[in-house]
Amino acid sequence: MNTALYYEDIAIGDEIGPLERTVTLEQVQTFLAIRSTRPGPTRFTDEAQARSEGLPGPIVPGAVNTAMVAQLLTGWSPTIRLKKLEVSFRQVVRHNTLLEIKGVVTAKQVVDQEPQVECDVFMENDEGAVHVMGHAIVVLPMRSRES
Amino acid sequence: MAEEISYDRSLLGVEHHIGTFPITADMILAFAAATGEVHPLYSDAAYANASEHGALLAPPTFSNIFVEGFRRPDIQLAFGEMTLFANQAIEPLAPIKAGDTLEARTKLQEVYAKTGRSGTMVFMVWETSFMNQHGTTVLRVQDSFVRRNRGKQ
Repeated sequence: MNTALYYEDIAIGDEIGPLERTVTLEQVQTFLAIRSTRPGPTRFTDEAQARSEGLPGPIVPGAVNTAMVAQLLTGWSPTIRLKKLEVSFRQVVRHNTLLEIKGVVTAKQVVDQEPQVECDVFMENDEGAVHVMGHAIVVLPMRSRES
Repeated sequence: MAEEISYDRSLLGVEHHIGTFPITADMILAFAAATGEVHPLYSDAAYANASEHGALLAPPTFSNIFVEGFRRPDIQLAFGEMTLFANQAIEPLAPIKAGDTLEARTKLQEVYAKTGRSGTMVFMVWETSFMNQHGTTVLRVQDSFVRRNRGKQ
């Protein structure tokens, strides 16, 4: 886990990450098995099913992609609380794609006594194509309030 | 120009109870394994049990295990051949712990069409809230799905 960050430590333009992830078929199967809602072939696990739905092949569920983007923020510092995360899925993610997840601080302000930091977040492949992009608000403690 | 879309408009804004979900430590650990989660509060039961929370916590996006499995009402949308996940907004409001039981309620917020270079697409926006066994709303999620025709292969 990274070091404890405070609101005062953050500046607009600060970079977050990157975090690298590669999602395998086994991981997707593990994810889907948590609820076991679709035991049969799905667009997420089966080549033929994915192609029948107009996809290039099995894809990583968007729900997993959101989870990995959130990890960029919750893993940034143990003092951070995720307040809101909004993402758009721009391109499907195939299994075993090397993904880089990163962010940049775009604003900081205290809202109703709450120290908030805003960030843009991205998930790209190793060729720089953006698969997921979004915006987040995180809350950090203020060092000045702890002294 | 906005296109007239045929769907069951009586569902707009109407809240539906879509399930009761007990959350177990095994589910949280499986979620961590599937998504590469290494934060110890979300992936290390011994660490989390010894923390101020006293239990393994579900990561903020944990409710995503339900995205594919919800029995949302059929809006009878007469358009398109394939549906993809388009956007998602997650607003964690309180911790979700192993041992909690969540009640999920959802409502159709909006249906709208957009036409771009690849043709017309119809977006369906659902807002879902999760309440724990203490009556606390722990999470709000907005999921947007896009319905469109298949492109040429």
